[in-house]
Amino acid sequence: MHLSRYGVRVPPIRLSCALALTLIAVALAPAAASATTIYAASSLSKVVPTIAPGNRTNFAGSDTLAFQIEQGAPADVFLSAAPLYAERLHAKGLCDAPVVFALNTLTFVTPASNPAGITRVQQLDRPGGYRLAVGGKNVPLGIYTRTLLGKLGLGRALQKNTVSQYQKATDVVSTIALGSAAAGFIYTTDWYANATKLLAIPVPTSAQPLIRYEACAVRRDGADTAGAKAVIARLLSLSGRQALFNAHFGLPPKT
Amino acid sequence: MTLTTGIFRGFLIVTAIATFAFLLAPIAALLLQVPIRDLPGLLRETAVTSALLVSLKTNVIANVIILAVGTPAAYLLALGRFRGRPALLTLIELPLVLPPAVAGIALLTAFGAFGLFGSTLADAGIFLPFTQAAVVLAVTFVAGPYYVRAAVAAFASLDRNQLDAARDLGASEGTVFRRIALPLAADGLRAGWALAFARGIGEFGATLLFAGSVERITETLPLAVYAQLDVNLDSAVAVGILLLAISGGVLLVAKLPPLWSPTRSSTPVGGW
Repeated sequence: MHLSRYGVRVPPIRLSCALALTLIAVALAPAAASATTIYAASSLSKVVPTIAPGNRTNFAGSDTLAFQIEQGAPADVFLSAAPLYAERLHAKGLCDAPVVFALNTLTFVTPASNPAGITRVQQLDRPGGYRLAVGGKNVPLGIYTRTLLGKLGLGRALQKNTVSQYQKATDVVSTIALGSAAAGFIYTTDWYANATKLLAIPVPTSAQPLIRYEACAVRRDGADTAGAKAVIARLLSLSGRQALFNAHFGLPPKT
Repeated sequence: MTLTTGIFRGFLIVTAIATFAFLLAPIAALLLQVPIRDLPGLLRETAVTSALLVSLKTNVIANVIILAVGTPAAYLLALGRFRGRPALLTLIELPLVLPPAVAGIALLTAFGAFGLFGSTLADAGIFLPFTQAAVVLAVTFVAGPYYVRAAVAAFASLDRNQLDAARDLGASEGTVFRRIALPLAADGLRAGWALAFARGIGEFGATLLFAGSVERITETLPLAVYAQLDVNLDSAVAVGILLLAISGGVLLVAKLPPLWSPTRSSTPVGGW
């Protein structure tokens, strides 16, 4: 192949390389200098964007997020659905002292049409049982669910029924809403957000586990600590508490 | 050789090195994460053993379905002359571009309890979610197109004169397919199947949403990796290496035969 064949035209390959590099550069440039990166439990996915709009958010199971931050993920704030994970990062020097900003409870739900005809949580004690969707044994939702079942004297319920376990609270919600599971345990806030698709079945209040959401500013080189503190201040502010209350979260005593 | 050729060759070599370095670095890092001698202990956990059994059983069934149904279907698509053939060829690739989670939702909206065919299935006494049949369907749906696509390409590149010659000699259509087309397209079919198998054994998103993650029933190796991630990173990595070994072994087996049968071309006929 001779160079002269191209004449004075720019070889297409060079043109496309230049174009590709430009696109990559544009895509990698920070979207907005002010945006703070929030890593939040998936049960917060509706409320956090209303409290702290204009930031980058990553919603997943708290355990997954804690793992990602431990592996050096570029988070600025960590909003955990359980104290365990925020405290673990704090103990490792990966985030500041966590603060409680919201409370939650669990709700026992079936699909709106309740095809299995479940009326009481005690029905889970029957052998053979139902198809259930619950949180995995290492994620907050799953840990809380096991605490609740234990307090109800239903510790064996997860062996007696056909149980599918999920790492994300939202996967439990959709599995029940789509009818794959006959019932399951979800966060009360998630039930309010999907009340038309899910039927809530009362659970004795005395059996409820203590569910606390904790926030902490991530410590790493280049972290947007000021932005992180602003997000946490928003969560604790009057408007933040109002938004959490509207989304049916419980509120900790005002500090 | 002109200067431009030299520069171009250098450019090719640099891109080849970059390709290998980028694709292999994470795999090498995975292998370095856990000492090899710890692997057997990590893999002996009951959760891993039962997930391995679920993965093998469901994937064997799914692959039998993919090969048994996909091969004749691809033959018709490749050599048949009928209206709408190009459209069908495109449609069959649609599952390839679906994000796995969307594939799972799609399967649920079709075969789930409240899905399109949910009540029909229920009348027949069939409930798919949380069953191994659902895992098989998810794997078949996600991996099948990889095979069918390659098989269509393999059959389409056959020399039609050879097929016609067999017909002229009195061979039935079935015999032409079995004795002429299949052996000639074998390399392409095998390469396509290897990719489909590797995709299927690693299937995660569609399986989780459609079949759920029920221990000993629908919890496959990829689902087990995810569940182990928080408890024990080493154990998750060990399962990852196991998956890598299975897929790598299959890919290798699919590529090997041309080495000992010199009459066959070592490049897949399909050329995907």
